[in-house]
Amino acid sequence: MRPNFFEHIHPPTIPTAQARWRYTLGAGGTAVFLVLVLVVTGALEMFYYIPTTGEAALSVQTISYLVPFGGLVRNLHFWSAQLLLIVSAVHLVRVVFTGAYIPPRRFNYLLGLGLFVLAILLDFTGYVLRWDTGIQWALVVGTNLVKTIPWIGELLYRTLVGGTTPGSATLVRFYTWHVFGLMLLAAILTTWHVFRVRRDGGIAVPPPGERGDRERISRSGLVRTEILAMLFSGSALLLLSAVSPAPIAPAITEITTLSGQAIAPWFFLWVQQMLKWGDPFTWGILVPLIILVVIALVPYIFPRPAKQDLGSWFPKSNRLAQIVLAGIALAITVLTIMELIPVS
Amino acid sequence: MSAFSRRNFLKLTGQGLLAGSGILGLGIIIRFLGFQTEAPRPTEFDLGLSSDYPVGSRTYLPDVPTVLIHDQAGFTALSLTCTHLGCTLEQKAGIFSCPCHGSRFDENGKVLHGPATKALTVLMIEPNDLGHVILFLEG
Amino acid sequence: MSNRNLFFAATILLISISLTWWLQARQAQPVGMTPTVTGQVEYCLTCHADLEEISAAHPLQTYGCVICHGGERLALDADLAHSSLRGGNNPSDLSVVEQSCGDGDCHNGAASAERDHIQRVMTSLQATYAGAIANVRYTFSAQPDLTPLFGTVEVSDNSLPSQTGILHLDAFDPSAENNPFLKTFGTNCLTCHLNSQPAEDSQGHRFSGCSACHSPAENNQSGFIHTLTTAIPYSQCSACHNRGNYDLRTMTFVERTDQPVTRLESYYQPIGQFTQCEYTLDCVDCHTRSEAMGDGDIHANQKDFEYVQCQTCHGTPSELPLTKTLTGLDDLAIRLVLLNPVVDLKLGDTILVTEQGEPLWNTRILADGTYEMIGKATRQQFSFKPVMGSACTQSGQDQSSAYCHECHVVER
Repeated sequence: MRPNFFEHIHPPTIPTAQARWRYTLGAGGTAVFLVLVLVVTGALEMFYYIPTTGEAALSVQTISYLVPFGGLVRNLHFWSAQLLLIVSAVHLVRVVFTGAYIPPRRFNYLLGLGLFVLAILLDFTGYVLRWDTGIQWALVVGTNLVKTIPWIGELLYRTLVGGTTPGSATLVRFYTWHVFGLMLLAAILTTWHVFRVRRDGGIAVPPPGERGDRERISRSGLVRTEILAMLFSGSALLLLSAVSPAPIAPAITEITTLSGQAIAPWFFLWVQQMLKWGDPFTWGILVPLIILVVIALVPYIFPRPAKQDLGSWFPKSNRLAQIVLAGIALAITVLTIMELIPVS
Repeated sequence: MSAFSRRNFLKLTGQGLLAGSGILGLGIIIRFLGFQTEAPRPTEFDLGLSSDYPVGSRTYLPDVPTVLIHDQAGFTALSLTCTHLGCTLEQKAGIFSCPCHGSRFDENGKVLHGPATKALTVLMIEPNDLGHVILFLEG
Repeated sequence: MSNRNLFFAATILLISISLTWWLQARQAQPVGMTPTVTGQVEYCLTCHADLEEISAAHPLQTYGCVICHGGERLALDADLAHSSLRGGNNPSDLSVVEQSCGDGDCHNGAASAERDHIQRVMTSLQATYAGAIANVRYTFSAQPDLTPLFGTVEVSDNSLPSQTGILHLDAFDPSAENNPFLKTFGTNCLTCHLNSQPAEDSQGHRFSGCSACHSPAENNQSGFIHTLTTAIPYSQCSACHNRGNYDLRTMTFVERTDQPVTRLESYYQPIGQFTQCEYTLDCVDCHTRSEAMGDGDIHANQKDFEYVQCQTCHGTPSELPLTKTLTGLDDLAIRLVLLNPVVDLKLGDTILVTEQGEPLWNTRILADGTYEMIGKATRQQFSFKPVMGSACTQSGQDQSSAYCHECHVVER
């Protein structure tokens, strides 16, 4: 029986342990599905979005209110983007908490982390494309933070903004990054990341000699599981998009004045909180960078889990790495909540 | 008879449901892409006071594009859109010629040289109650 | 088992997609309208289709909604659509009027073309309240003379030359005053000018800005009013005027206590003296554009620019009132009549004009030499003759109203 294309790109069989929901949570696979939804809905939006300062917000309103199913497409794009960040974070936590980063998987861990950073950048550039009063100050703060970097800050700022202050050139550049530059990088890294999963022996489980569970499932079973996950995720996305619209605000005009508070996008609230404490470069660039580096070094500096501990949660052997990551996640969550609480 | 088991029924119905979702999804994409953001081109043109176009005049109006003819019988207008593939005709020595593929028309719109085969469209003119000449492009 | 799961998941997906189709079908069909002035489509009519035209001079098909009100023209969500409305529900509020009613050279154009309404209103006494503020501050020794220094908001006179020489007023800040009477003045007495909202317990309904006069409340209605008119009844002026009197010692406003029923009783306060004209006509029938909306200069006293008198229409025993024959289509009187068809003036007609040349465009001199006036709000027709040649024995010098009232006053 010759397998079809989708079955063929999977291994003929894989250990059943690798495919269990309770092990992987399906996080990595769901992330890939969300990326597919983002690409399709993003492509559809490109038929109507206009990347000029005069027309951008109006074209977003056209999509949201006037184009048939435009609101649905935009909401799908928004929610899959935000869920992608959450699902990717879950995937990262899962990988660390199951010790699935030990050699030969350390490079793939870095690839994944790079993808996570790309996802955040894609989310931010997409957010800016709204060009309405809701994003205005995040754009100013974000680009000015880049300027604080020593030696290369000015050059980076000019490259990013395309001028001395955010304007029409900035919008075109952010559009190009979002739709092509970052997208190309993400496509390359995603392909590489998924390839490395297979090359490194599939999803991490104990080596064949030390495996308790010897069951395997066929490629068609695996594909069917993936389709099931996609159907459920798709339905959840549709329902979420139907009831909860993507944020929108009035267009930026020359006489725009800020009303109320300026709030960072949700995934940067923790940075907005830290920026209240002092020097922008330290709290806005350095500390996040340090956190990123610590996470990146997890496979390299902490005691490694033993091979026989793979395939299950909370192995004893890499306790320290788990605690450090949990601490970072907790800190970021607390900072986010702190930013959301109104200051009297 | 028994070859068609419950498993097959579930599988077939499941595939049918997926196909239904697929059709609905395709419908969404088609309706999404079918929206027109630009207002359609105007089909009526107010050409101004009829006294601006005396009897015997032939006025070339590039905005429409058309040539407005006022003769003894009244007002008519010839569309200056080439009947071949839609380029705007140029006027040279009483002959309308098309810069795209070389069609030529005489001053009454008759085809002098192909590849166009149809004569120039005659457009409807009506005066309105303020004495203005209104031109109608037929749909 | 997995077939059953797939069947289940496929069902849920189909239901979800069908839900999105159903929600799409439920959405209100967007109703677009492209006004000829802007050329940009707006979708306000999707929800506001049953709104009546605001005035014959501002037809919807020509102007649309957004050019005056602002707002997000493509949004169908009420919160977003209304988020950038200028001035909330009143785009004529003086803080935003230059973009709403101005916008190029609609009503903030050149004085020579008589299109400078906004500049005149913003410097007018009804907006600045400069005289009341100056008088009260002088009374309580906060300034050495009656020169106006403060207005309700900061304002500058940019249309030179200025006959008063006052080119700028700062914003009056009661909390910066030392005298407690002035602080109380700030609390109690600043509800009757074009930059303010009427007091909580006030009788008449009034917007701020241009709409204070031009969007009159009919029959004491309040809340939603969507009208622009020059046919302003006296009752709209009475939202501020003829309400009572100030008491400087207690720094309060004492409202009139009578319960008027007829027009005769309600028009003026019980202490007022007036002739038949003065209560039969509406205020706008006599008080001219520059009297009501300002003459472009910053004044401190209404006596400096209120100049219409009985003689403006009636003349004196020795002089006829001033007249003007209309010769051009761009004459202000013809333009006003075209926009406000109260009388059917034509080229060649003769109308009364004031001493400063302002046309009284609701008047006409008939062929037999009698004068005709049509009330702008009431549409009543009045015919009258000039004083010259009548039994009037008034001296030509004594022309203030008190002198005419001696014979012509109406008993309440």
